[in-house]
Amino acid sequence: MPETATPPQQNGGGFKLPDFDTLKKEVIDSQIWRSMFRGGVWKDTPRDRAAHIIGNVWLHLHPVKVRPRALHWTYTWGLGGISFMLFLILTVTGVLLMFYYRPTVDLAYRDMKDLEFAVTLGVLMRNMHRWAAQAMVVFVILHMVRVFLTGAYKKPREFNWGIGVILLTLTLFLSFTGYLLPWDQLAIWAVTVGTNMAGATPFLGNEGPFGALMGMRINNDVRFTLLGGTMVGENTLIRFYVLHCVAVPLITGILLIVHFWRVRKDSFSAAPIDPAEEKVDVWPNLVGREYIAAAGCLLAIMIWSILMNAPLEIVANPNVTPNPSKAPWYFVGLQELLVYFDPWIAGVVMPNLIIVGLMAIPYIDTNPKGIGFYSLKERPFANAMFLLGVAMWFILIYIGYYCRGPNFAWFNPWESWLNQKPAMPPTWNIFGPLEGAVPFTFKMAADIVGGRLGGLEPGVVPNLMPGWLGAIVLGGMGGFLMIGPKLIQKDIPGKTANLAFIGAMAVVAVLGKIFAGLPVMQGLWLVFFAWTGFYFGFLLPQRHIRQLEWPRYLFTMFLVLNTVAVPLKMGARLAFNVKYVLTFPTISLNI
Amino acid sequence: MAAFLGGSAAATGRFFFPNVIYEPSQKFNAGPVKSYDVGVSTRWLNEQRVWIIRTDKGIYAMWARCTHLGCTPSWFDDQGRFRCPCHGSNFNQGGDVIAGPAPRPLWRAKVELAATGDLIVDKAILEDLPGKRDNPPFFISLNA
Repeated sequence: MPETATPPQQNGGGFKLPDFDTLKKEVIDSQIWRSMFRGGVWKDTPRDRAAHIIGNVWLHLHPVKVRPRALHWTYTWGLGGISFMLFLILTVTGVLLMFYYRPTVDLAYRDMKDLEFAVTLGVLMRNMHRWAAQAMVVFVILHMVRVFLTGAYKKPREFNWGIGVILLTLTLFLSFTGYLLPWDQLAIWAVTVGTNMAGATPFLGNEGPFGALMGMRINNDVRFTLLGGTMVGENTLIRFYVLHCVAVPLITGILLIVHFWRVRKDSFSAAPIDPAEEKVDVWPNLVGREYIAAAGCLLAIMIWSILMNAPLEIVANPNVTPNPSKAPWYFVGLQELLVYFDPWIAGVVMPNLIIVGLMAIPYIDTNPKGIGFYSLKERPFANAMFLLGVAMWFILIYIGYYCRGPNFAWFNPWESWLNQKPAMPPTWNIFGPLEGAVPFTFKMAADIVGGRLGGLEPGVVPNLMPGWLGAIVLGGMGGFLMIGPKLIQKDIPGKTANLAFIGAMAVVAVLGKIFAGLPVMQGLWLVFFAWTGFYFGFLLPQRHIRQLEWPRYLFTMFLVLNTVAVPLKMGARLAFNVKYVLTFPTISLNI
Repeated sequence: MAAFLGGSAAATGRFFFPNVIYEPSQKFNAGPVKSYDVGVSTRWLNEQRVWIIRTDKGIYAMWARCTHLGCTPSWFDDQGRFRCPCHGSNFNQGGDVIAGPAPRPLWRAKVELAATGDLIVDKAILEDLPGKRDNPPFFISLNA
């Protein structure tokens, strides 16, 4: 049916609403619009699409054209872009929250309550800020895992991977500093524990190894600087406020610019080049996807924030700790680590080793294969070690979050926290000074192996063997484990070695059962933890990295052995109540 | 050049050490010594973060700060233990570590007997070594 023009009847006077296309054309052709947006009339030519990217300050970090392989959803999953969108959401909601929040001990908690109950949309802004922060931690970690699994950190992208690791650290530090601001019980105790770890720094903290030698006291060490006092108080709140709202976001923003710029300069995507592949325009192919991901991300955060309120506990009390007291979930793994290791190891050395180790990966991983696609087979060692680390991080989080109840005692997830747990068995040390400790007997050794240490005098942590012997044994073992895999020239057959090792440990467990009454469960733990150490700390490196030249090899082995030491010490504590493997109390050096 | 940069960095670092801090006094009056029965008293826990512990030999004050990472442990009378809610350290009544990650015993605070018979506790002066902590000024001998 042919279209016929209808006479303007509705408006009587003959006024006609201009149709949309005419209006759009007039607006776009106006001098104001033309002065704001560069370029001429939009004809959707390749030149127009390129000009849209080049001529726009916000989009010009993009290339003009991009290979289709880099655009597959299943290659990047949009994780980096979503992380950035969450950063933007956090900036906007954070600035809005600052209008109503005053960072003083007397007012902070009251302002939080006002935000929840008195400020229009205050609770939504706070929820969005909280949930977006948690989501950002998740997405930044996932982004890192994705980049690792696709080998996208390898040459020429080593430097940008390092920037990324720093950005991950800053994301966590932003979460940590923001955690104090509500000034509720959760806040003050998480920060008390977190900053006390700084007090355990070797040399620089008043409770760390060699701290006393350096003249560190509670009011002049690194913890004092962080807190601006000897306890979490007014000075701490304003310090964390400034760090959270100004200093760290500024540094993060600057590093984000560098990060994006390097992505662009390092030819945008690591996906392998296929000569037959024809590049496509970034507008709209990539930018469109980015907008969709960003909009979806905003929508998800809003829905989440409408459905679920951010937690706020009772007002902070610096004298009473809630029971149990848990860190935010992404730090619960660290908190669980602190159960097994002294604060200077779990809180200072390990986090720093993780950061340095992650940044070092592109420089020690010389395997040229597997760049730009997911491949477990072409990079067996790198993937196995990295995934072991990530898995351990999340297993620790799981244990800390779901398996710890009142007094941080072990409760299985299905057990009620109302049931009283029997008191923990006393612990003992393997190597340490023998003066004043319980003398070692064969019966005691059998009792330890059999888990019957209850008969010892309460309050005394016994040391089994002298500390100097421990230093020699640990040093010797460490030395052998460091260089052993490289010295054995032939490939050790994997399956045979695994079976032989498990068999040998099983024999040890059975002998322990017969001669010392080792419980079966403890025996199984022994086999499991020892095998983890053997497989990841010896067999895999022997088979895969012994060809590396010495400096790279030694550094890699150092990181590998540190990683493997974590489950070994956890096993020693959980199954055999070992407190320290080696302790020198006079210099606060406990391992 | 290096001296200038180093000096600037040191000065900036020094800036972050406050010269004056406004924190509450560490000394307080814990009331008449006679008002404490044998056992662990949590009377001052909420306000001063201190347990007053009366034994049949005397009385001492223990700072309720876990030596691991500074949380406040809870006292369990039935088990005779202090247990920390943050990482699970256990201490006996004397403050010695039984289990968990704490590296050293709980700190005892300086105590003195005022002329009025009141117990004066000073949390700024602390001791945890067996032997030293069982003598004045960290312990006041009393007849049961």
